[in-house]
Amino acid sequence: MNSLLRSFGPHLTALILLLAGVWIVGMIIGPQLIMVEQSFWHLDRGGDAVNITVQIDNEYNDVDLLLFDKMDLEAEKASAERDAKIAEIVASIAQKRAIIAELETREVTPKKVYSLRNYTIMGGSHLAIFLKTILASVAVTLIAFVVCYPMAYTVAKLATPNKAALIMLGLIVPYAINELLRVFAWLMILNYNGVANFLLGLIGFEPVPFLESGSGVFIAMVYAYILFMVFPIYNTVETLDTAQIEAARDMGAPTWQIHRKIVLPHAKPGIAVGCIMTFMLTAGSYSVPYIMTRGTVEPWFTQLIYNKFFESLNWNTGSAYAFTLLIACVIFVFLMMRIFNVSIRDIAK
Amino acid sequence: MSNVSQVAFGRGSRIVLNIYMLIFFTYMFLPLILMVAAGFNEFDTPSVTVWRGFTLKWFSVLAEDSRMWSGLINSFIIAFAVIAIALPLGLAGAFLVSRLDSRYNTLIYGIMVSPLLTPGIILGISTLIFWREAGVSGGLFTAAIAQASYISSYTMLMFMARLERQDISLEEAAQDLGANHLQVFWRITMPFLKPTILTASVIALLQSIENYNTTIFSIGGEHTLVTEIGARMRFGLSPAVNVIGIIFVVITIVCAAIYVIFREREKARAAAMAR
Repeated sequence: MNSLLRSFGPHLTALILLLAGVWIVGMIIGPQLIMVEQSFWHLDRGGDAVNITVQIDNEYNDVDLLLFDKMDLEAEKASAERDAKIAEIVASIAQKRAIIAELETREVTPKKVYSLRNYTIMGGSHLAIFLKTILASVAVTLIAFVVCYPMAYTVAKLATPNKAALIMLGLIVPYAINELLRVFAWLMILNYNGVANFLLGLIGFEPVPFLESGSGVFIAMVYAYILFMVFPIYNTVETLDTAQIEAARDMGAPTWQIHRKIVLPHAKPGIAVGCIMTFMLTAGSYSVPYIMTRGTVEPWFTQLIYNKFFESLNWNTGSAYAFTLLIACVIFVFLMMRIFNVSIRDIAK
Repeated sequence: MSNVSQVAFGRGSRIVLNIYMLIFFTYMFLPLILMVAAGFNEFDTPSVTVWRGFTLKWFSVLAEDSRMWSGLINSFIIAFAVIAIALPLGLAGAFLVSRLDSRYNTLIYGIMVSPLLTPGIILGISTLIFWREAGVSGGLFTAAIAQASYISSYTMLMFMARLERQDISLEEAAQDLGANHLQVFWRITMPFLKPTILTASVIALLQSIENYNTTIFSIGGEHTLVTEIGARMRFGLSPAVNVIGIIFVVITIVCAAIYVIFREREKARAAAMAR
């Protein structure tokens, strides 16, 4: 705090603290907390809303019958017995009206009940989709690593400067093109009458329903997010002193040993970042399943979240689903930090 | 060999590597080439397998599409709002983390970069819920706030990288010579950060305009260019979408080429200075 004051003086320090505070509390922690809070309650209408409505109807019927009884009694000859009966009926009518009023307030103002219901409501089929999403994301991450590591190493250590610049350009262009358009290109390829089926048809195969089976989503995911693995790995491999690799080679180390003992350990932070980014983007992707299924299947967890929010309008359950996804991503981040033995400082660079 | 960072390797592995590169870049570019080609096809669903002849008509179809134009305007409104929010927040965050000597530093830093590690849809959802509590429903405002929550992390990291290379003694010297804090800030710190302010603005602009996942969950009934493209891909698919793709590809290639040339020139200059 003192060094902050020394550099900026009281006014600027106050402004800095205010801005950082607004960001941390108002835009990062606050929204997350409200989302989590919302995931732990639901609106309870005192059992079943339909039951209440039926109950209210019954009570009204009873009141009507009692009113008829009262009118019949009033038509009779005046007597102490009759007055007592009327008084009794009036009392029970008042009682029933009180019940009706109570039921009606419960019908219009449901109670807020804290519970785990939003989480337990998920059920087997949604849980299966969740697990499938996580497993598919891990698979995409692994494929991306296997494909991208040689590429990153090539650009950083093997290519001549001009060639490296050209390869870099070749990587940046598809990376920078909008995610939706990249996926759209695959929609054209994997459509029922798209390029893939056209080529399969040429060699005598039946058309394959890639989109309807959901496999199109996986293929497009790999394509859409693979490049998020290249750049972090490239950034770390580039800082490796080439002399180390050459020294190892001169001493007779085979290529795979050089990678295992020198390049990979050095690239750890980059690999961790690449894996985290690829996994997070894949598991949290809404655009790819949205475009690649065209509404025919629902294979991705994010689609369930979207439906809870904007179709069945159940924000509480939607929040619970969203929080579940967030937890999965947080666990993955900590797992990567543990496996690659890196800190949060190494990660975000 | 003038370049010391290059590893020598044998002929056999060179061939293997070249084949790998060829496959990789075919995989990366072939889909984009198909998408571009379909934009010039007369046939009225995007396709390259059914070729009805070359046409430019989809460009004029796109030019007359009012929803795309209004989406583009909304995209820029949000992008400028994001720049206006994310630059001050990112700068404040960078100052805080790089100048505050506290044991909570790592925690604060971790919180500030956490939006980058959070799925975009969750940022969108939480912002939407948060502002609904305050009576604000989804629209351009919530979309800008949701985007700014993570774009501020990018700008913060960029400012931090720049501040790491700053020579603090310059500020101290100015203070010793009698400059007040505000003068030091405007005359020394800000001019030093100026290049980063520029690049951070560009990055924020691009990130904002490109964003889909966060925006679609926080924008309510409004639309941006990208959410409108998304809607078209599901309903009413037309080669006009491919034309947008063509425009994006051309802009991207031009920008990327400028960037790479610029970077190589910087590198060459740095190498020349080092020698």
